[in-house]
Amino acid sequence: MAENILVIGGGPAGLNAAVMLSELGVNVALVERDSFLGGNPKKFKYKFLFPDMQPADNVIGELIKKAEAGGSIKVYYSSEVSDFKENGKKFDVTLKSADGSETKTFDSVIVATGFEHFDPARDAKYSYQLFDDVIDIKDLERMMGENNFVRPSNGKPPKKVAFILCVGSRDRHVGNQYCSRVCCTVSVKQAIEMREHFPDCEAYIFYMDIRTYGFFEDLYWQAMEEHDVQIVKGRIAEITSGPDNTVICKGEDTLLRGPFEIPFDMVVLASGMEGGPQSPEMSSKLGIELDEHGFLKPENITLSPFKSSKAGIFLAGACTGPKAISDSITEGAAAAMNAYTYAVKNR
Amino acid sequence: MEYDENGVSIVPSEFKKEIFEEARKDFRYEEYVRGCLNCGVCTGGCPPHRFFDFSPRIVLQNMKSKDPELIWTMMDEYIWACFQCFTCAMICPFLNSPGGIIAVLREIAVRRGFESAKKVLKPYSRVLLKLTAYGNQLSPDMIQPDFFPDWGPHIGYASTDLAVKRKAIPMPTLQVTNLAWDVAPETMKELYDIFDEAGVFKIIESVDPSLYEIIQDIVDDVRSS
Ligand code: SF4
Ligand code: SF4
Ligand code: SF4
Repeated sequence: MAENILVIGGGPAGLNAAVMLSELGVNVALVERDSFLGGNPKKFKYKFLFPDMQPADNVIGELIKKAEAGGSIKVYYSSEVSDFKENGKKFDVTLKSADGSETKTFDSVIVATGFEHFDPARDAKYSYQLFDDVIDIKDLERMMGENNFVRPSNGKPPKKVAFILCVGSRDRHVGNQYCSRVCCTVSVKQAIEMREHFPDCEAYIFYMDIRTYGFFEDLYWQAMEEHDVQIVKGRIAEITSGPDNTVICKGEDTLLRGPFEIPFDMVVLASGMEGGPQSPEMSSKLGIELDEHGFLKPENITLSPFKSSKAGIFLAGACTGPKAISDSITEGAAAAMNAYTYAVKNR
Repeated sequence: MEYDENGVSIVPSEFKKEIFEEARKDFRYEEYVRGCLNCGVCTGGCPPHRFFDFSPRIVLQNMKSKDPELIWTMMDEYIWACFQCFTCAMICPFLNSPGGIIAVLREIAVRRGFESAKKVLKPYSRVLLKLTAYGNQLSPDMIQPDFFPDWGPHIGYASTDLAVKRKAIPMPTLQVTNLAWDVAPETMKELYDIFDEAGVFKIIESVDPSLYEIIQDIVDDVRSS
């Protein structure tokens, strides 16, 4: 008899875990809270993925296609885990949707509940939601995805755009002391994309330091050398409104200009990643540990990053901390292997 | 005091080190000075930064440098450019308080009667007098054109016939012009004890000896009444 494994979350990590398990012949229940698969990349219509700018649909679309192809994956859309009980080494889980509830026994569980974008309105200095032309990276990603890159205030194309890094990350005031890892890369990628498609529009990036880790480093060389993006060292202290319907970024260029107040047509905030309400919810429902940053805590961050604090429950993707889509996909596969091994051992 | 060939006083490095240690040992130091990656947020939001060559980021970096020389260079003018508005502390992503550590340095300057402190406190001598001697900060007779030019063209008129104008105010105003409100002698005595204990009188003595004498005369009078 085939193993039964529950995967919670249909983003890149959960999708890949489900697909891998189904290839092993496992019966997979894939529970997704939204009415569609694909997670945040789909929800916010990510357009291109770094580092090679391939269309997001090539990656996410491919995984969704495989998951929806039927086979041994059963997708529960707009559903949630309403009850969770340990049953020896197995788990009795009730899955609830608008159509009703269903209780099943699973051999193991993969949690891939992902992250939430930080809400920049929580940090008043950025004036998000106060000025129409202050948007964040997910808003811009959606605009680009919908081919509708214009100033929200007047519907006209912007001529000068600022990208502000580390919004809601590395900031003890907002309570997120960690680095969200991908927002530097996403912002530089967006600046390049913008310069490519709208060469008349100037791009500035304001940074404390640029963390385009590993091979993503190439991106900011490209941004400077091929796309004339201005990269200025100084975190923004305040955003105010200026004359002629502009938004003014105020800060200190700590290397060159000293204090500055530069008017822009549009400001893009690199809002970071948070564990969201789903992480504590999983923690309390499944009885697994939460870390001090609000993400789910691996048993051993180095040795077994895919294991939760409870045997039989595995973790994958951004639910354990900010990470790139490629890393989430890798972790989905790794968690699938772990969950499968556990299920086979306890058959 | 020693002087170099340009007539500039030479401060021994031992003394600079002592000042530095005094700041580092302050009980607030750990709370005010944490990590700092030179992000510039504090300076970007600092009001005086727009007008002077002054940056809270530099203050914090100097403190972190552990170089007594760098701290010393700020003691003369630099630390007095701060408004103590604490915008920096409100927005620093590391929860540093450049304004707070500046307050610590200023207190050292005041306690030790540095020239810079004397110069800065001079214009406040009338306020210091009222405050320490009577527990009042401002009183009607302090309104004089010379002292409040920024109050606009009516300050001249406002400063005349104070006694009559006070009477016209439809609430109890003591009918005096040298105080804003009545302070009972018992309260004043208590206040003096607090100032004594807290070392306030001693500080005034070191930054403004003549003001100190005036205040002490009043204090003695009240205490013996
Ligand atoms: S990845 Fe870059 S923008 Fe994002 S938190 Fe880290 S340093 Fe800041
Ligand atoms: S407290 Fe001082 S250093 Fe800090 S922002 Fe205000 S004026 Fe600037
Ligand atoms: S805001 Fe904080 S971290 Fe940034 S330069 Fe100022 S003191 Fe340093």
